[in-house]
Amino acid sequence: MGKAHIGMLTDKVITMNKFFGNKPAIFIFAFPSLLLFTVFVVYPIFPEILISFQKNDGFKSMGYVGFKNYADVLQDKTFWRANLNTFIIVFFSTFIALPISLLFALVMDRLSDPMKRFFKFSSVFPAVLSVTVIAQMWIAVYEPMWGLLNSILRALRLNNLALAWLSDSRTVVPAIAVAFLWQYLGLNALLFYTGIKAIPKTYYEAAMIDGAGFFKASIKITIPLLQDVTKYLLVLSILGCMSQFAHVRIMTGGGPGDISRTVVYQLYYVAFSTSDFGRGCAIAIIFVIECLILTFIINKFVAQERIEF
Amino acid sequence: MVNGKCRVLVNILMILIGLSFLFPMYWMLNISFKSKSEVYDNPFGLPRQWVFNNYRDALEKFNFPRYLSNSIIYSAGTIVLTVFLGSMLAYCISRMNWKGKGFVLSYISMGLIIPVQVVIIPLLIMTRSFGLKGTRMSLILPYSAFALSSCVLMLYAFFRSLPKELEEAACIDGCNIYQAYFRIVLPVIKPAITTQCVLIFMNTYNEFFLAFILGAEDKIRPLTVGLLNFFVSIGVSHWGQIGAAMIITSLPTIIVYAVGNEQIENALTARVALK
Repeated sequence: MGKAHIGMLTDKVITMNKFFGNKPAIFIFAFPSLLLFTVFVVYPIFPEILISFQKNDGFKSMGYVGFKNYADVLQDKTFWRANLNTFIIVFFSTFIALPISLLFALVMDRLSDPMKRFFKFSSVFPAVLSVTVIAQMWIAVYEPMWGLLNSILRALRLNNLALAWLSDSRTVVPAIAVAFLWQYLGLNALLFYTGIKAIPKTYYEAAMIDGAGFFKASIKITIPLLQDVTKYLLVLSILGCMSQFAHVRIMTGGGPGDISRTVVYQLYYVAFSTSDFGRGCAIAIIFVIECLILTFIINKFVAQERIEF
Repeated sequence: MVNGKCRVLVNILMILIGLSFLFPMYWMLNISFKSKSEVYDNPFGLPRQWVFNNYRDALEKFNFPRYLSNSIIYSAGTIVLTVFLGSMLAYCISRMNWKGKGFVLSYISMGLIIPVQVVIIPLLIMTRSFGLKGTRMSLILPYSAFALSSCVLMLYAFFRSLPKELEEAACIDGCNIYQAYFRIVLPVIKPAITTQCVLIFMNTYNEFFLAFILGAEDKIRPLTVGLLNFFVSIGVSHWGQIGAAMIITSLPTIIVYAVGNEQIENALTARVALK
């Protein structure tokens, strides 16, 4: 009987192996997505590299020019200004917006249920609206004459601080950064909060007995245990900031002049407004290298060990 | 936060912060009922004279039904294509026996770190040479391709948590793998599929960059870009109409969010909750 049982088991394993090893089925299940992904995500990198070495107006190539496009891009002051702007946005996101989201999440964890619901609902609300709506709304907030920000400043008798935020070269980039990051503040807080909820409550019990308060428990227990979520959010928000385009396009069009362009805006401008696809592709290649380096750095230095609860 | 006073203070502060996220939309609603000149001298108070014409005028100049239907076509098309293809690939990687599935998993993960902005120039050239320029497919295909990575990875994690007995039973009942997948497995992962649909919808419906560049023709423009064109055409002068257009465009999203915010929140955080 034992033998028969083993025989049945092996039969079953063999049938299941056959079932899951069905070659045509594997092809039918895997091929369509891989084709779609390869054609539209991976393959375009190759023509892009080729075009970056060409003089190309978008319709035809006018011969290879070696590294000329790259040299032109790297000597272009506007490109460096666009990089600086992009990194200002990344800086704002990493060191101001994400910590605020984390603080929201830590406080949210201590709120009563109805309060939690309300705060979740309202803070995530901007993230579900379209970028066009949010960016246009912020134009109204920054409006020099009757805008919300200047009205508040005037009410506080800080008249000399009431600037023309979007046409002043000193304030335009931080102003765009604030508008952009504000939209996702609540969503990031919600993501942090989801991470906090996953931490078993037993971790806090010992701390409670020791009399640790909100701040101590947060710094000693919650934040270190959140490192996986933190890493995920860092990568997500840095890539999001690096590829910032919409808010700049809508709020300032890169202006005043070319002061508030981001790298992607510069790419768009060079390729589509000056019809220089060769240089546009060179910018895109430099841009993807920057993104890969940043992602690599985060993966290397933040949260190397995975935490299992 | 032990003592009561502190608790009350924190609650008040959080209510104020919460309201500050809602205020701008309320403000736009308020402005949308004001005349062109009233916005300037009474930007915050209730309208002294309620102007409903802003909505009529905005709808006249702004082809809302066309843009809305385009946005819906893009979102629906991307959802169907991505979820259908992505779930099959995820299933194939997590369950079937073949060499190279580990490689395919890392290959598809590359999509998570390649921003779509990088390949916009070749994409534009490709849509031209495929004869897709000016068609809705020129957006649905790249949207789906870029949505695949996260869809496949999340569903892969989900499939791995399912017991293999599911297919064993199906196999004994004489199902082939297609029947087992479409009749037995897919219904079981319905919650995960729903999450994917919400996520892809949110991303596609609000997508701006690709739509701005590939959807340059007015007849295929989605709401995000159509709205920007309306703003540009109207200039910055008539905020009443701008506000009205904003409210009209946001209304579908606001209604969906008001009804399903809990499901939407769950979908948006699925990636973190899954780990």
